Amino acid sequence: MNPMIEVVGVSKAFGSQTVLRDVNFKVEPGEILGLLGPNGAGKTTFLRILNGVIKPESGSISILGYNPVENGDEIRKFSGVVTESAGLYHQMSGEENLAFFAELYGVKNKRKIPELLRLFDLEEHKGKAVGTYSTGMKKRLALGKALLHEPKLLFLDEPTNGLDPDGIKMVLSYLKKYNKDTGTTMIICSHVLHQLESICDSFAFLENQTIVEQGTKNELERKYIHEVIVKINTNFAPTEVHLLGFPCKSTGENTVIFTLPTKETIPSLLQELLKKNAVYSVEIMNNDLESIYFKVREKINE
Amino acid sequence: MNSRILKAIVKKDLKDIFRSKSLLTTLIIIPILFSVIIPAALVGSAVLFDLKEMAGNEAGKLIELFMAQVKDVRVPLETEEQKFVYIFINYLLPSLFLLVPIITASTVAANSFVGEKERRTLESLLFSPVSIKTLFVSKVIASFFPSFLVSLISFILSGVVINGLGYLLFGMMIFPSANWLVLILCLSPMVTLMTVLLNVLISSRVKTYQEAQNIGGVIILPVVGMMAGQASGLFLVGAPIMLLISLAILIINAILLQRITKYNDRFVLFEKQIH
Repeated sequence: MNPMIEVVGVSKAFGSQTVLRDVNFKVEPGEILGLLGPNGAGKTTFLRILNGVIKPESGSISILGYNPVENGDEIRKFSGVVTESAGLYHQMSGEENLAFFAELYGVKNKRKIPELLRLFDLEEHKGKAVGTYSTGMKKRLALGKALLHEPKLLFLDEPTNGLDPDGIKMVLSYLKKYNKDTGTTMIICSHVLHQLESICDSFAFLENQTIVEQGTKNELERKYIHEVIVKINTNFAPTEVHLLGFPCKSTGENTVIFTLPTKETIPSLLQELLKKNAVYSVEIMNNDLESIYFKVREKINE
Repeated sequence: MNSRILKAIVKKDLKDIFRSKSLLTTLIIIPILFSVIIPAALVGSAVLFDLKEMAGNEAGKLIELFMAQVKDVRVPLETEEQKFVYIFINYLLPSLFLLVPIITASTVAANSFVGEKERRTLESLLFSPVSIKTLFVSKVIASFFPSFLVSLISFILSGVVINGLGYLLFGMMIFPSANWLVLILCLSPMVTLMTVLLNVLISSRVKTYQEAQNIGGVIILPVVGMMAGQASGLFLVGAPIMLLISLAILIINAILLQRITKYNDRFVLFEKQIH
């Protein structure tokens, strides 16, 4: 299958300031990709280049066979964007905003607007000026705006910024469901790593103006996590510093931390423990996205 | 160019004018000032007062200087008041009247792009499949239409005031003369379009609405020059000269339109205004 997006050797500078250099990047159709990087790493500029509103200095980009520099409008017809600032008209009502953007994107299905207002819990507020909306309501409306024309590709720049925990949960679970139902490819920029962990299929790390690593969580874990730290809630009380040759130490009541070479060794460790003890819970401490992110950065900045 | 998108942007911008108190105030106050208050004050003072006695000999000489340049007069010009009103209505007021489309078009057009930028909505427009040509043409139409409409309403208001008060002085309708017809049909639309084009171009380049208004204000200078030239008796701009000026502005507009579409692409607009 051909990739949905293929970027080869893209660079961009604003004056003397290099923002992106030699970026190589691939996104498969139907995938949700998390684009990670510190603030100011160039994530937003990269999304803008993909959308064809900023011209790269060099390199080639293909999005479903279209080049954003030459066929930007074609790409914009099948892609939706949620920007950090939401980009809504504050003087217009929620419904008027959707109606305006529906015209721009040539949306013919008149039921789409009430459907989206209902879906994002905005039906009650559809007649109010967007300027009076809370940040969460604006974000939800911006997401509705981006989905009006049922895009094949969604660019989401910090879509959960300013949302409360309920809002974050609602938006992320909706995005996951939408991706599952429609197969829409999504690129989500964020620096809140734990939010992306559960919904993204793969991740790309933007560091020092370039994509330094890209892959699924399993691929990244295999590459960067060389020992697995496991926290086990058990009544086993270690009398030695090793069990089955694996280092262990008690860190409190009923809690033992093991350091294992791979996660494949966990079942044998548990079998051994369960022979004489009870095990209440097992948790890998160092394979979350945040740990991988810092490992990647550590390696790059070595 | 996509007419569906064009209509949507024009409709939104026109609605926005009615939502913005400051824009709406400008569009109401300017025509009232230039087409009701000023003509009513001057024609009214000629009706009510003895101008020769009030202004003295020097003013009388200036009026005679004007009269020497005026040809083909079709209204009775026997008294000093009639001569004063005739000169004022046909030669000085048209220059002043041009400020109506200039001020209204500047106010609306200066807001076109930089207003979207300040509200952080330009990004949404540029991320949508709207061609830059459609975007610029929509902004030009949305700025031209209300300014031209305001000029037409001002023209009608001026006519009512001038004929209403002037009838007492002349015993006949003195408005509209050939000068006024050329003004409203040729010069005013051309000046409106030029103001809109220049201000839309400026608005797509500057960072704030204030900056756009300051730079766009320069367009008022040629009109002020024309007013000063006429008021000092240096020259009088009649219908043939107005037609020639309209033609010259038409050419300038064609060049401006070509430049606007040639030098504005999405990348330039985005990097200048958003990044």
